[in-house]
Amino acid sequence: MNKKVISAILCGSMVLASVSPVFASDEGMTIALVGKSAGNAFFEVSAESFVAAAEAEGATVDVVYPEAATADAQIRVLDNLISQQPDAICIAANDVNALQAKLTEAMDAGIKVSSFDSAPNKDSRQVFINQTSVDLVAQALMDAVLDITGGEGQWAILSATSQAANQNAWIDAMKALMESDEKYSALELVEVAYGDDEPQKSTDQTAALLQKYPDLKVICAPTTVGIAAAAKYLQDNGSTCKLTGLGLPSEMLEYTGDDDAHSCPYFYLWDQQGLGELSAYATMALVNGDITGAEGETFTAGDLGEYTITAADDGGTEIVLGDPLEFNPENIEEMAELY
Amino acid sequence: MAGKSGRSINNVPESSVKRIIFSWEGILVLLFIAVNIFCAFFSEYYNLSSLLRQMPVYVAEVFLMIPMAYILILGEIDISVGSIVCLSSTMACIVCNTNAPFILVVLTALVVGTICGFINGFILTRFQELPPMIVTLATQIIFRGIAEIVLGSGGSISASNTEGFLLIGGKVGQIPYILFLVLILLIIFAVILGKGTFGRRVYAIGTNRLTAYYSGIHVQKIRLLIYTAMGTFSGLCALFLLSTSYGANTTTGNGYEMDAIAMAVFGGILSTGGKGNLAGGAISAFIIVCLRVGLGQRNIHPQVILLILGVLLIGAVALPNIIKQVQRSVKK
Repeated sequence: MNKKVISAILCGSMVLASVSPVFASDEGMTIALVGKSAGNAFFEVSAESFVAAAEAEGATVDVVYPEAATADAQIRVLDNLISQQPDAICIAANDVNALQAKLTEAMDAGIKVSSFDSAPNKDSRQVFINQTSVDLVAQALMDAVLDITGGEGQWAILSATSQAANQNAWIDAMKALMESDEKYSALELVEVAYGDDEPQKSTDQTAALLQKYPDLKVICAPTTVGIAAAAKYLQDNGSTCKLTGLGLPSEMLEYTGDDDAHSCPYFYLWDQQGLGELSAYATMALVNGDITGAEGETFTAGDLGEYTITAADDGGTEIVLGDPLEFNPENIEEMAELY
Repeated sequence: MAGKSGRSINNVPESSVKRIIFSWEGILVLLFIAVNIFCAFFSEYYNLSSLLRQMPVYVAEVFLMIPMAYILILGEIDISVGSIVCLSSTMACIVCNTNAPFILVVLTALVVGTICGFINGFILTRFQELPPMIVTLATQIIFRGIAEIVLGSGGSISASNTEGFLLIGGKVGQIPYILFLVLILLIIFAVILGKGTFGRRVYAIGTNRLTAYYSGIHVQKIRLLIYTAMGTFSGLCALFLLSTSYGANTTTGNGYEMDAIAMAVFGGILSTGGKGNLAGGAISAFIIVCLRVGLGQRNIHPQVILLILGVLLIGAVALPNIIKQVQRSVKK
């Protein structure tokens, strides 16, 4: 039987060898956009604006999804892409370190590598496009609290879990802001409650906050689960306490409004459309050679204006899109259809 | 012997050329060539160098097919291998991250795998009335459960020290080491199965366990050995998987047991035992590898690739029966 195996392999390799590689015709730029997994509404919004922005500039974009939301599934996708030799790969990484070998291989093969949404480590990418920074989120939330309270009074934070790294980073930055600027001095942060990102527990924590602090003016919930649960509780109970934070427009639609009937005047989240657009321009700038991903370089991102590459916390470089996007009664209906 | 291949399409021996072409392996070879021609036309990026470059991650599963073939020929099944792969790659990653010498990482992967396999074999030989499907289903959950506990809330670990993995993921020219290793192991185990006494005993057990037992074959010893080897090979698979993915997570190795079984069954190994050989398994394994690479290169949705493989598998299993029926109706 071994003869058969050997002959099979020989036949196969002969067939393979006889077919020389035929590369796709070189018309315009080709970009592969790699998602974390299929069916992520958040990513789709960015992907759509990425494709629109890139196609407007004459580039072709292939949006590719791995089999599952794991690093090894993305490695298979990257393997395929390296064979295809696109001009650039823009990836939302499923793991910080695991993709390093493949992405380095891609860069060695002359493919430009950018990333958005979640970054692979600094050696695996040329530049990361960050939706916003910790400081910008903290700044936006603090200003919202200041605005809604009217400048003074008690407020509380409803967070996810006490170990959540991003939550703690935002909360710490908010506390630092309160200490550093006089205008926040009349605000009193009474408690940081943890709803563990469970709707029921978040509701219970909201109720407990209201009971403990009857004069509470604002709850700030920088978590999508927490803000939705708190919004429902406050609105159902006709509480005078208002709400802001980070939330999904589709979940917050019925609670957002300027009047007393609604619990949330406005809230924030990333600008997914802007993120996709900026990522497209940054990736094209890499391919065109306008930028190499080094700190201090600048480029023009279409209508978005000029951006500068800055140092990222992980030692690599990033481009920060800007302030989080405000969702208010005027834009919420339109945005709720997106995500 | 009237062909150890599980699927004999023509039972009446005719000329030897005809027999080879109409044997299951013959058909697989033709299919292998057809798949390669198809892939080459389908994907403009499909060529020997891209195939060799993309192969390692898929070839890792072929390690599992080798002992799985033995287990299937015994008339049994082991569905815990995917979880063993997960557990041993997790453990190997942990050892790797303590900056231990790389040989220790290799040993960890192999030893953890072997222990898991031994546990399967031990339970199955100690409590012989238990069906392997149920026992390995239980250990599948247990092994993955342990891995998930070890991995903790993050659910993933990445190897911080990748030098060793880069080494075993290396190549001679364009040919990756893993391909050499798989081919060598395939040949060794095909010879043991096809020509050795051990192999004959395995077929005997698979054909009729009681008869084998009464004719003096150490049935339980052989079963224990094969299940343990299954574990060791899972460790090997884990090691080479790590050399492409540099990390493990809770889904590592998910479904690999079914891939290994599919490769074996597609290769003509009967899941009811006693029939089949590793040559068929090897060709079918590489058909699947080539198909995955070729279809993947055109960004075909992974689920669609699974669908195509599923249809192919059903077709392969049903083909001999269909041909027989056609022959019968023609004779009428």
